[in-house]
Amino acid sequence: MGTDVPFSADQDVLVDANIFFAIGRPSNPRYRQFRSAVQNAGVVCKLPRRVIGELGGPETDRVRTALNEEWAEIIDAPPPTDGDAVAASDIARRTIANETGQAEHDVEKTDAILAGLAIQYLRERETAGVVVLTDDKPAKKGIENAVRAQGYTDTIAVYGLADIIGDDPGDSMRLI
Amino acid sequence: MTANHDRVRPDGGIDALDPPPMDVMDEETLKPETLAQNAPRLETVIQLLNHPALARVYVYVCYWGPVTPPEIMEALDLSKSTTYEYVDQLVDLGLVDRDDSTRPQQLTADPIIIVEQYVPIVITPTVLHALALQEVDEDVEYFVDRHGLGKLIAALRGAGLHFAGGTTQRMVASDIDVRETEAMMIINALKPALAVGRDHDPFFEHLFPDVHDEMDLPNLDEISGAPANSSDSDR
Repeated sequence: MGTDVPFSADQDVLVDANIFFAIGRPSNPRYRQFRSAVQNAGVVCKLPRRVIGELGGPETDRVRTALNEEWAEIIDAPPPTDGDAVAASDIARRTIANETGQAEHDVEKTDAILAGLAIQYLRERETAGVVVLTDDKPAKKGIENAVRAQGYTDTIAVYGLADIIGDDPGDSMRLI
Repeated sequence: MTANHDRVRPDGGIDALDPPPMDVMDEETLKPETLAQNAPRLETVIQLLNHPALARVYVYVCYWGPVTPPEIMEALDLSKSTTYEYVDQLVDLGLVDRDDSTRPQQLTADPIIIVEQYVPIVITPTVLHALALQEVDEDVEYFVDRHGLGKLIAALRGAGLHFAGGTTQRMVASDIDVRETEAMMIINALKPALAVGRDHDPFFEHLFPDVHDEMDLPNLDEISGAPANSSDSDR
């Protein structure tokens, strides 16, 4: 499983908070699977502070575990100011509004910001590429559209959790 | 039965007509004998809502039945005495049918639905399943402790909309007024109730009239221990 993970150590992997909830608690097999995929690739997941928010509630135990185990870190990505990045967040917002049938101003700012953060991060860091992980379908579509429209498909890839650890729930889902 | 679809709000509630028109209740429905006839139904629901462990056994029999008490013990990891205690209660409440002509006895349960547009309340096996998950999932338990059953149902509705692509997890958080990370947690934790309910709750459409066939959820065929597909082929 670990060999066909679509990211490598020379890329920056930006992760939305929802990934940590899609993999479940640290005791969940999917949590362990995701952790090995990340560690085997030699990557540290970067969690922008503005997408994770406060790590206050007990539900954020799984994020804190990842931080303690040092396969995730919180980064203080600057707010998108670069023209391409700002435009990307606008496109993401429009796409999400369209996907969900909501007014644009009702789209959560944080859902739209990751697209801009990814582009700004790429331009400032000049790394080999940025990988964005999010397991929220409408939000993912927003980022994908923004990256495509701004011409960054060669350097920014967007994936969901299933692309990393497959979507076979196996024994990880207790039905009742 | 499906006339209220337009009033299902994105946050999981159903818009109530406020106040209900006077003719909702009439002399017929308020007759002491009618009220008395409906009393057991009310008590049944209160029992299930107050006892997630009992609701869990009911949902198991409803979805997996016919089953035997030893099968319940094994599947739900309950002791023999607890299993029989719950089964007896459910039989007394009229929720579970016990066929004593076979050994071991076979248990079945009809799915129940309660929709009250004025409160509003919608209770189906999927909702009871979500509630029952408290017994085995710490995330659901934490959410109900902190936010209560009403918000759990709102979160269930939000989760269904999310998996149908109609809302982001953060929008659900804002709609039901919980922290973003709490919404992300509960949306994922409620997946089993949606995945099983979609295939086995005949009233799933009452909860999700708009998106019942659009959800991107794990396929039960790939999950060990899922209930066998029922013989009714209309789904």
